[in-house]
Amino acid sequence: MFLSTKLAEGVTLHIRQTTQFKTVNFSIKWRTPLTTKDAAERAVLSNVLQHSNGRYKKSAEFRSYLDDLFGTVLYFDATKRGNEHTLLLNVETVNDQYLAENKVFNEVLELLNTVVFEPNFENGSFVPSIVEREKEMVIQRIQSIFDDKTRYAQHRLTQIIRPNHPASISANGTIETVKAITPESLTKAYEKMISEDKVDIYVVGDFDVEAVQKKLTEALSFKDRTPKQAEKKTDVSKPEKDYVKEQQEMKQGKLHIGFSTPVTFGDEDFPKMQIFNGVFGGYAHSKLFMNVRERESLAYYASSSYSAHYGLVYVLSGIEPANEKKATDVIFEQLEAIKKGEISDLELTQTRAMLINQLKEALDLARGQIDIYDQYKDLDEQFSVDLWKERWEKVTKEDVQKMASQVQLEAVYFLSGKEA
Amino acid sequence: MQTIEFKQLDETLFYKKLPNGLDVYILPKKGFSKTFVTFTTKYGSIDRTFVPMGESEAITVPDGIAHFLEHKMFEKEDGDVFQQFSEAGASANAFTSFTRTAYLFSATDHIYKSTETLLNFVQEPYFTEQTVNKEKGIIGQEITMYDDQPDWRLYFGAIENMYHNHPVKIDIAGTIESIDKITAEHLYTCYNTFYHPSNMLLFVVGAINPTEMMAFIEKNQSQKEFPEPTPIERHFEDEPKEVATKERELKMDVQKPKVYVGLKAKETDLSGEEMLKHELSVQIALECLFGRASNFYTEVYENGLIDETFAYDFSLEKGYGFALIGSDSNQPDQLANKIKDEINNAEKNLTADKIERVKRKKIGFFLRALNSMEFIANQFTRYKFNEMNLFDAVPVIEKLTIDDVLKAFQSVQGESQQTVFKVLPSSERKE
Repeated sequence: MFLSTKLAEGVTLHIRQTTQFKTVNFSIKWRTPLTTKDAAERAVLSNVLQHSNGRYKKSAEFRSYLDDLFGTVLYFDATKRGNEHTLLLNVETVNDQYLAENKVFNEVLELLNTVVFEPNFENGSFVPSIVEREKEMVIQRIQSIFDDKTRYAQHRLTQIIRPNHPASISANGTIETVKAITPESLTKAYEKMISEDKVDIYVVGDFDVEAVQKKLTEALSFKDRTPKQAEKKTDVSKPEKDYVKEQQEMKQGKLHIGFSTPVTFGDEDFPKMQIFNGVFGGYAHSKLFMNVRERESLAYYASSSYSAHYGLVYVLSGIEPANEKKATDVIFEQLEAIKKGEISDLELTQTRAMLINQLKEALDLARGQIDIYDQYKDLDEQFSVDLWKERWEKVTKEDVQKMASQVQLEAVYFLSGKEA
Repeated sequence: MQTIEFKQLDETLFYKKLPNGLDVYILPKKGFSKTFVTFTTKYGSIDRTFVPMGESEAITVPDGIAHFLEHKMFEKEDGDVFQQFSEAGASANAFTSFTRTAYLFSATDHIYKSTETLLNFVQEPYFTEQTVNKEKGIIGQEITMYDDQPDWRLYFGAIENMYHNHPVKIDIAGTIESIDKITAEHLYTCYNTFYHPSNMLLFVVGAINPTEMMAFIEKNQSQKEFPEPTPIERHFEDEPKEVATKERELKMDVQKPKVYVGLKAKETDLSGEEMLKHELSVQIALECLFGRASNFYTEVYENGLIDETFAYDFSLEKGYGFALIGSDSNQPDQLANKIKDEINNAEKNLTADKIERVKRKKIGFFLRALNSMEFIANQFTRYKFNEMNLFDAVPVIEKLTIDDVLKAFQSVQGESQQTVFKVLPSSERKE
């Protein structure tokens, strides 16, 4: 799918030439093991790098320049995957051939070099006033979770079942760790990221591959590095409580249930777990939707998701608080049914068809091509839809039943309104 | 079948109006494996007072009925339509807005089968008192979910402030009380009035052969019988130009205040290219005034009056229109005043060079958006229902002048057009 070349030790360039899109997409991903402190620093770093740079020291100048480049989209972001933290830079620009005038592409390449290697420094470090404001922005982002009850309930559940574990560490760090950042500590974090992180650079669009390879190699002068490998955290203990109820001023009840599975991303049983999740609650044909919503009218949404990197399965539903017990019972009944092997051929066919379709659809987006390849490239040398299709087709009812029997309850979390 | 070419964009659109009145548009996309299909009726939450098909007197139906009808279309005598879509590997969905109800699916395989499922389930209503009552619990939870979302409450609070009579101020899903009144008979009345093919548009975009797809759709439609189309009579009360309420607030369990300044549009009677030009002009003006590159943004960002939630938007349909500008802010009043000042002194910042830059940005936005099948299908339909053409947007932007922008912006300018709505923390929280 992508043509990969090593630019330096630990730095890989992946290029894909295609006529599918009217734009060219770039993505640079810097990875390091996930800790709360690093996450906080890198979240603020991503904001500060997006604010300005050595060439455009004022944010408004920088934004005007991007607008002039036909609204080239450029943003940094902080995310996580498994036990790694990713700081990423995404850029999307219009392909010159659709414009009356050109040269946008070359300017964007130069800009990549500027935003990555020429930060807006004052006396060798980031500008204190900018750092302070962007710290505040990240703190607001962390606090805003409280206002979104679904996100808040999910956040609380992961804290309860996996405290001090990558599953519950936010890609933005915590309020305390963000507050502790200084311009000097942020500068150190930047230098460490540039010189020590594992780097993957992606480009997707319609262009001359060799020319882009050459230009990018010149524009992005990364040095050799030996990236740190994130350690897999294995010492997980059972949560202290398997039921937690909390209250806020709200009308709906948010029922979030966490389960664990020994199967994680890339394991041999991984495709079986994906099918299990589809039968259980991943789709509108799944048992949770058909029973919690359609049969019992208990909820507008009732679904499950498989967080493969952490070996966790979450069930989410929004219900009338008085129906808590009934909804919980119906959810557990669905899991029991799968354990007993009550799985129809139709459910298997539907789930396989949906998984294949999801993968194929995602590959119709440049961002999807980048993200899927980035995730799957370490599993198979030759990633393809057909390969995965084959793996899903091999999964049997017995496999799904076995997956269900390995699923263990971690905890039930219920967030609801204050009782009168 | 007509073909419409957009040379600069390298796109060809195929069109046919079928004998039953249905507008069918097909846009083939090379290099994609996915196809996206929307089947949309020009019927939304604002269409609550109308003359039912075959009758002469207007009636008013319970609030939330268009959305309720959308939910109930998925249930048939032999089960749930989602099951059929899933079996064919198609992701199906639907949405109801103020002015439209859309049914859609995307898939990479069995496209004809899913297209047939889509056409048939939307054109074969099945409502019983029992299935209608069963849905009340589900939609009740959907309404409750939105009630708990402060950003949704902020949005609707601002709209409620602006409108005296227009039903745009009524929540799309209605209320627990209003949906309780809905009967199967109501659903049939609304269905028969608004789901006639002549009030609908089918848009197919993706990996398809346009000639074969058109023939397939035609054949499906020719096998069904529909009454002769009659014009739909919708009734709306007169709406004053000025806002209904200048300022209001709501207390919720939030960590930080939220504020919107709403600007009610005076010009809401346009259609076609005039409307397209007007809408794009107001959007460009807002981007000049409040965009990341603006003086306003720099100032409120540096003063800490806004955070990453700062946003601005302009919506325009026949009969109503409004701009909303706001953010989460610890000083919501100060921010609201700054926004109003900026609106009142807009001419100062709407300069020719800024407008030119934003025009380029907007052109880039459209070209990027044309990578998205969802954007093309949904927006094309919305534009078409207002007699505009999505693919005209780029040439129209190119031609816009500073005078166009200044003139269009007057529609939302003026003290009596402005309102402020805030969501405030209900009590001091401890961390």
